[in-house]
Amino acid sequence: MAVSAGGEVTLKGAGALSPEPTAGQVSLRRLWRLKWGLAAAALLLLIVASAVLAPWLAPYNPLTVDIQHRLAPAVWMDGGTPKHLLGTDQVGRDLLSRVIYGGRVSLAVGVAAVLISATIGVLTGLAAGYFGPRVDWLIMTLVNVMLSFPFVLLALAVIAVLGPSLVNMIIVLGIADWPLYVRVIRAETMSIRERDFVVAGRALGMSHARIIFRQIFPNLVSVIVVIATLQVARVIILESFLSFLGLGVQPPTPAWGNMLGEGRVYMLNSWWIAAFPGLAIFVTTLAINLMGNALRDWLDPHMKL
Amino acid sequence: MGRAAALAIAVLLALALAAPAGLQAQTKDDTVVYALQSDINTWDPPNSVLREAIILGYNVFDHLAARDTKTGTVGPSLALSWKALKDTTWEVKLRKGVKFHDGSPFSARDVKASFDRVLDPEKKMVARGNHSKIKSVEVVDESTVHFQTDGPYPLFAERLTALVMQSEKQIKEKGHEWMQEHPVGTGPYKFVKWDKKQEHLLVRNDEYWGAKPAFKHVRVRIIPETATQIAELISGGVDIIKAVPPDQMDVINKSGQAHTGTSPILRTAILQLDQAGRGGPNPFTDRRVRQAVNLAVDADAVIKHVLNGLGDRVATAINPMAFGFDPSVKPYKQDTARAKKLLAEAGYPNGIDFRFRTGLEVVEPAVLQTDDALAADMVKAGFRPQLNYIGDQTVYTAQVKEGKAGPMFNWSWGYYSIFDADAILFDVFKCGESWSYYCNKDLDELIISGRSTLDPKKRTEIYAKAQRLLFEDAAYVFKWGLRGVWGISNRVNYEAPRDEIDRMWLVTPRKK
Amino acid sequence: MKPYVARQLVQLVVVIIGISMLAFAILHVIGDPVLLLLPQNAGKEEYARYHKLLGLDQPVYVQYWRFASRAIQGDFGKSWYTDTPAFRLVLQRMAPTIYLTLAGLVMALLIALPLGILAALRRHSFVDNLCTMIAVAGQAMPIFWLGIMLIIVFAVRLKALPASGYGTWQHFLMPAFTLGAFLAPLTMRLVRSGVIEIMNMEYIKTARAKGLSERIVVIKHAFRNACIPVITVLGLQFGQLLGGAIVTETVFAWPGVATLAVESIRNQDFPVVQCAVVLLALIIVSVNFIVDMIVGLIDPRIRVGA
Repeated sequence: MAVSAGGEVTLKGAGALSPEPTAGQVSLRRLWRLKWGLAAAALLLLIVASAVLAPWLAPYNPLTVDIQHRLAPAVWMDGGTPKHLLGTDQVGRDLLSRVIYGGRVSLAVGVAAVLISATIGVLTGLAAGYFGPRVDWLIMTLVNVMLSFPFVLLALAVIAVLGPSLVNMIIVLGIADWPLYVRVIRAETMSIRERDFVVAGRALGMSHARIIFRQIFPNLVSVIVVIATLQVARVIILESFLSFLGLGVQPPTPAWGNMLGEGRVYMLNSWWIAAFPGLAIFVTTLAINLMGNALRDWLDPHMKL
Repeated sequence: MGRAAALAIAVLLALALAAPAGLQAQTKDDTVVYALQSDINTWDPPNSVLREAIILGYNVFDHLAARDTKTGTVGPSLALSWKALKDTTWEVKLRKGVKFHDGSPFSARDVKASFDRVLDPEKKMVARGNHSKIKSVEVVDESTVHFQTDGPYPLFAERLTALVMQSEKQIKEKGHEWMQEHPVGTGPYKFVKWDKKQEHLLVRNDEYWGAKPAFKHVRVRIIPETATQIAELISGGVDIIKAVPPDQMDVINKSGQAHTGTSPILRTAILQLDQAGRGGPNPFTDRRVRQAVNLAVDADAVIKHVLNGLGDRVATAINPMAFGFDPSVKPYKQDTARAKKLLAEAGYPNGIDFRFRTGLEVVEPAVLQTDDALAADMVKAGFRPQLNYIGDQTVYTAQVKEGKAGPMFNWSWGYYSIFDADAILFDVFKCGESWSYYCNKDLDELIISGRSTLDPKKRTEIYAKAQRLLFEDAAYVFKWGLRGVWGISNRVNYEAPRDEIDRMWLVTPRKK
Repeated sequence: MKPYVARQLVQLVVVIIGISMLAFAILHVIGDPVLLLLPQNAGKEEYARYHKLLGLDQPVYVQYWRFASRAIQGDFGKSWYTDTPAFRLVLQRMAPTIYLTLAGLVMALLIALPLGILAALRRHSFVDNLCTMIAVAGQAMPIFWLGIMLIIVFAVRLKALPASGYGTWQHFLMPAFTLGAFLAPLTMRLVRSGVIEIMNMEYIKTARAKGLSERIVVIKHAFRNACIPVITVLGLQFGQLLGGAIVTETVFAWPGVATLAVESIRNQDFPVVQCAVVLLALIIVSVNFIVDMIVGLIDPRIRVGA
């Protein structure tokens, strides 16, 4: 301990007690903290791979009906057969194949809807944060309107009029969630806008577009990625809501949500018909959430999400 | 601040828990609970197409004639007897001493008022078509009525079971609007209240002229999901549910709380094909294509495996229980090779793509599974059906009526509970009728002559001819007569009704 | 304070107008009410007659004005299905939905508050990680699945609770729990981060330095101030909550606005759908407004506008 002239106390030499960690060690330590996130990412990779490779991976065609072998339980249960590892559904279609193919719908909807949402949300958030109070007020009011509108009712009403289909569902889900991005993007844009390099850019006469896309946007990427990742999970669950209510992808096309809906009546006896798609939704969204959280912690631990 | 928050939470909790007070007035022992999947839109039965409205109507109103549930024959109810005075005149004698729920006496004037109201073209009542053969109703005296019919009307007695008798006083004094929500009948139960889309309450009519119901109260609960209905049945929340899917029967029977009851019912299922071209040109206008479809499907296997045997295969749409059924016409047997050949002959060697509309599990449980199986059979013969599922009854029915449901859609017909071939032939097969997608002049002639004579032997011959025609022309894809499955709590005794009418006054408590 | 309230009120009104426009637009622009109203193959003249009758030959803004001016008086037209005024139908079913939502909120708080505070206090410990895992898992679980499982366990197997319906406090338990479980994960994480933030603040350190026991410090100060983010988010989540209520109501046959809306959409009974959507949105907006008022009261920084 040393006392300087000003009376401040410093711990001299305290640094000699433990050496500064190297950059490599810091990264490794951070990675270890994120072990759950990494495991989740690996699992997710597996899920995505199985969805993409479905035609080669699935033992049967998910649409093949075989009423002689309907309602067969999974292989480890009484009456199960190794021909159908996860059993069959109410018209004899192989459940394992349907779950694998169902992943395609869920993931496709998730990614597509999020792309739409993110694009709209980010552009609007940028506009709100950048272009001053009038535009801001307009956009935030619109956002409030959207947030106040019970999404499921909106989805139901639109799909009831337009008809249920994959495309309609993607559109509805994409439109419903963009306000999620706006608040955060707007706040970040507003703070970045006041920074030196931006002010300098304006002074130099850079166009708005250049400033927004060259200077502001790159700083937002990490936030966007995190929100988008978490949103994919949300969309997958919402898609299963809608399919469960009969407003999403129509049977016989396998989608985890409509499989849950079809299997609901069978919960008391042939419960596997609903259980396995339900499990698939759960595991996938869990993995996405864990990975998203880890991403957030890694990119910026102070993010308030 | 913390205290304020705690107080707020306490208030919220109190509000939440205190909320629904006093909704349980009846005890469990004197109430029978019946579940419906969707609510009726009106308590004025002649003004509704819904079967649920007919069923509830039976409990609060009476008809002139009623079907004996054991023998199936039509017998007296509010009418004691009827006979044909001439080919076009019927005399009906009424029961004396019957009172409406509001105390006013039932007489011939109420009969006339009820029929006049339904037959009036201005009023556009839904049931008008069913009784249009009746030209006029005359009051002869307090308990005698004369009916003038438009030509011979062999279904007269059967149709007497199909119109509820409403009070002339209510019709004249209270008016149409009021009657949609306030039924006043002569039946075994009185209407108490209606929580829209939630439940109905009925109470026993202690001055009923007929057999008094065992249970004092009836609670009709609207529970849209089948799974929830079954859960409620097993856990004791509901006593009777209907339209149980065959796959769930073992759940109910193994529960120890309830059992299932089945009965063949009039309702017959078919896949209607747009032979008449109502929706525009389509492949099914060609008889060979229609025959090919009939040969492609293995309906027997579907009944065996998907319905667990609960279905009665029919050669045409005439149900075995209906008058005029001809057992000598045998149904199509699956022959995929021949189906492919016929399809090629008709000019479609590569098969055809078309929309196959289905839905309405409310009416035909397991319809999605059976149609899935049938579609798979069709694929083997070269057809490529695209299944299009519509869950909503109102929308589906509207599309069918407007001619938009084709070229192939699933349909079932309850005959309006009239056990007669005419009850399906006229509405579903006659050229130009809103439910019909078939147009054949020869058949139309048979239909008209069938309902223009009172001679049962002649009618049997006519309907035999009609069935031959339908079979050879492969008018539609013929499925089967349905078997209704009811879930019944072990605390009551109840028999599955063959006309799909749930008569709450016949439910009795089971002695332990 | 006054200018803040004024600003919020203006926004409230604008939002409500926006919602009514949205509701109107969806149903009138995307769908054709005449086609849905008319029975059978009505001829061209019938179609034209109804078109005129419903005022559909007028320009859109005139139609909207008629709709809006009537709506303010509570006249949303009659249900096309049962012929009763739509407003009355929706109002009748509003109470069960509100009760369910409140009960769900209470459940969510009961789960989230203790867990969140616990996790914050024992930060980075096993307990914290466990709570976070539960929260993440909870967010991943489809709530209708949870609802169905609860019915199977408690109503069918144990026969302890009624499977569906509305009437006694027992009818409330499972639906409220399902809805609460839907909200709890996010709430828990917010409580946790809110408490963590507070814990690091100066005056807490001061209170600690004063020697007050940990428990008192937490309960008094942290709790009180963690309420702000929780209230804010809960208020904002009210909209989400109603979305969760829709599925919960369907699973439990709850006689609320959500089941009414779903059925009306299936019946294409648009006056009822319109009325339900507008009224629900109104409630959400009002709740947001109240929440903003409360938060503005507590935290002056927000009033001034950060």
